[in-house]
Amino acid sequence: MNEVIIRAAHESDLEAIMVIEHASFGDTAWPRESMALELAPNPARHYFVAFDADEMVGYGGVSVVHGHQGDIMTIAISEQHRGRGLGRQLMNRLLEVAKTNKVNDVFLEVRADNPVAQSLYRSLGFEQIDLRRGYYQPENIDAVIMKLDLTNTDASGAPITAVGAPKLEPLVLGIESSCDETGIGIVRGTTRLANVIASSMDQHARFGGVVPEIAARAHLEALQPAIREALKTAQVSLQDLDAIAVTNGPGLAGALMVGVGAAKALAVATGKPLYAVNHLVGHVGVDVLERGEVQTPTIALLVSGGHTSLLLVRDLLDDVELLGETIDDAAGEAFDKVSRLLGLGYPGGPQIDKAAADGNPAAIRFPRGLTLPKDMEKHRYDFSFSGLKTAVARWVEVAETKGEPFSIADVAASFREAVVDVLVGKAVAACKEHSVPRLLLGGGVVANRRLREVAAAKCAEAGIELRIPALDLCTDNGAMIAALGAQLVMAGRQASSLNFAADSTLPVTQVQSI
Amino acid sequence: MTPFLAIDTSGGTSVAVVHNGEALAEIVIDDPMGHSENIGQALVDVLQRAGLKPHDLSAVVVGRGPAPFTGLRVGIAAAIAFAEGVGKPLLGVVSHDAIARAFFDRMTDTDRAAIAAGTRLLVTTDARRKEVYWSLYSGLDAHGAPICVDGPHVEKPAELEDLLDQKNVQRITTDLALSAVSLAKVAASHIAAGVNLNDVTALYLRAPDAVEPKANGKFGKQVSS
Repeated sequence: MNEVIIRAAHESDLEAIMVIEHASFGDTAWPRESMALELAPNPARHYFVAFDADEMVGYGGVSVVHGHQGDIMTIAISEQHRGRGLGRQLMNRLLEVAKTNKVNDVFLEVRADNPVAQSLYRSLGFEQIDLRRGYYQPENIDAVIMKLDLTNTDASGAPITAVGAPKLEPLVLGIESSCDETGIGIVRGTTRLANVIASSMDQHARFGGVVPEIAARAHLEALQPAIREALKTAQVSLQDLDAIAVTNGPGLAGALMVGVGAAKALAVATGKPLYAVNHLVGHVGVDVLERGEVQTPTIALLVSGGHTSLLLVRDLLDDVELLGETIDDAAGEAFDKVSRLLGLGYPGGPQIDKAAADGNPAAIRFPRGLTLPKDMEKHRYDFSFSGLKTAVARWVEVAETKGEPFSIADVAASFREAVVDVLVGKAVAACKEHSVPRLLLGGGVVANRRLREVAAAKCAEAGIELRIPALDLCTDNGAMIAALGAQLVMAGRQASSLNFAADSTLPVTQVQSI
Repeated sequence: MTPFLAIDTSGGTSVAVVHNGEALAEIVIDDPMGHSENIGQALVDVLQRAGLKPHDLSAVVVGRGPAPFTGLRVGIAAAIAFAEGVGKPLLGVVSHDAIARAFFDRMTDTDRAAIAAGTRLLVTTDARRKEVYWSLYSGLDAHGAPICVDGPHVEKPAELEDLLDQKNVQRITTDLALSAVSLAKVAASHIAAGVNLNDVTALYLRAPDAVEPKANGKFGKQVSS
């Protein structure tokens, strides 16, 4: 038999769920419309489905009121797959969600004539608190009401976790080296303890962009001092750690390998489990350090010197979808190149911001990449900034040839407006078209004042909640990697092997590399 | 001397545990790429074969190259992190020294006579881009550390030959691959001689490939602000 995959449920899973629902519950099965409502995007409902290869073999759902209580709504395993421990796996997943939502008590009801299920729930720490006579009609079967007190579980994970219970607030050290920032972060659960960042930005300045070899060399030099400083700041020792997390992609290959080599050796030397995590998902997961959780579903717009990606995150650990990304330059790269063209400094973002402060953003209408109807078909959520950069260069060249004086401030402001317009426009469209009422920003370009302003205005107008983490959590950092690692530990995920590779083009769907 | 862990990724991935001059375990993975994939399991395996726990080690020795950059860094990064992890000293050794040590330890009588008569050992390793890294050795010192008389440098093979011919350097070469066991032995010899091995910086011997863009501010003069 194959390994069973458990993932967050989608609305498109309805048909397969209803088949199991009818087979398992017969007369008391939920109507299709009720189940459809349960599966609709809703931060208070979390449904998961279990797959054995292409076959759905079970599902379960929990409703949560953040910081308060949770209810196991339903759980079912198709008959021929019972006895494989799938019910326990699904229950554990539902309880993880309850824990992430800081729920105090989890309730469920179970048929009195189902001792197998009751025994499973007891082994997970549930206790009977009530009996409802004749609850299940028309068969007139009693319901046993059970409760699990999640606040009673101590750090060593006692009652819930008779079986391999995840630690509630693991201490995790994260290593980030995907671009020009060496980041060592330490978190305890969702609390940030240290976030040391050593940047080689100054060394790249005279080249007008990140030079991969310079970045990789700088990582090697920064590694030991950054680890020591982070441990000192967090006032912990390496022996105290519960796990180590490292970025294994996407990013610059040579740079990534410094972090990966170090992380593997650190894990072997300390005997701690190692989690290889996705850099881009780290940018999303960082919100747990400010909010205790990442509210899902959410659209995430990640914009930096290396990335311009639009993600749909239905579940931080299980369901991240890449809606679109840049097909040429990253947005940050465009800022750098235009900044250089205008004789401003590096990095381009802050320089353009400064120069644009007194400029008129409507002075010049630069092209908005991939927004024309013909492009939208294939590249609805993709970005392109290479043409914009060329347009700015040409515009300046023409003005220069004509000998007409022009305002750098206007060029900078108009260029910036074109970039921001496309970024925010596509992100807000993604929110609307996927009925997701949330947008999370991440990446170094979030430092750009105009991007934040326009995003705030457009989101307010569309009734979208905008999340912008603190700036030192938006730029590349180790705390976000540690935070994502901690989420994996808390979810009871298996550690990565020691054989994973640094993958410069790691897809965003791969949150953890095994 | 209590056990040393030695790590070198200047060629393939080579790790060893050496105790009092004896190899307790050695793992050699020839793959000239794949260092970052291989290093973790190699460390686990070498410790297991040596029957030691990480904290049983007394120091971590690392090869500083010269070597192709990307692979070299993986070994140094791993060594830095491992030493931090066990709280033990980190010692840096030039990787060519390990090849020289292995050669001198097992040279034939003919070679021994030649070296005694002033012939040099020329160690060369692949530097990619049709160049080699090279070092010239005259023998071992009293503690067993190779005596490097020139290098390490990087050169095209033909130009290296011309250069050594011009200087009238008599030399023999070796095709011995680098062994982390020899690297650990070199470290022990240096320490016996009181040499400081604190420098673990990578020997790249080439500046990063990067071209500065043309002068900025092309439009500066005609612009009003």
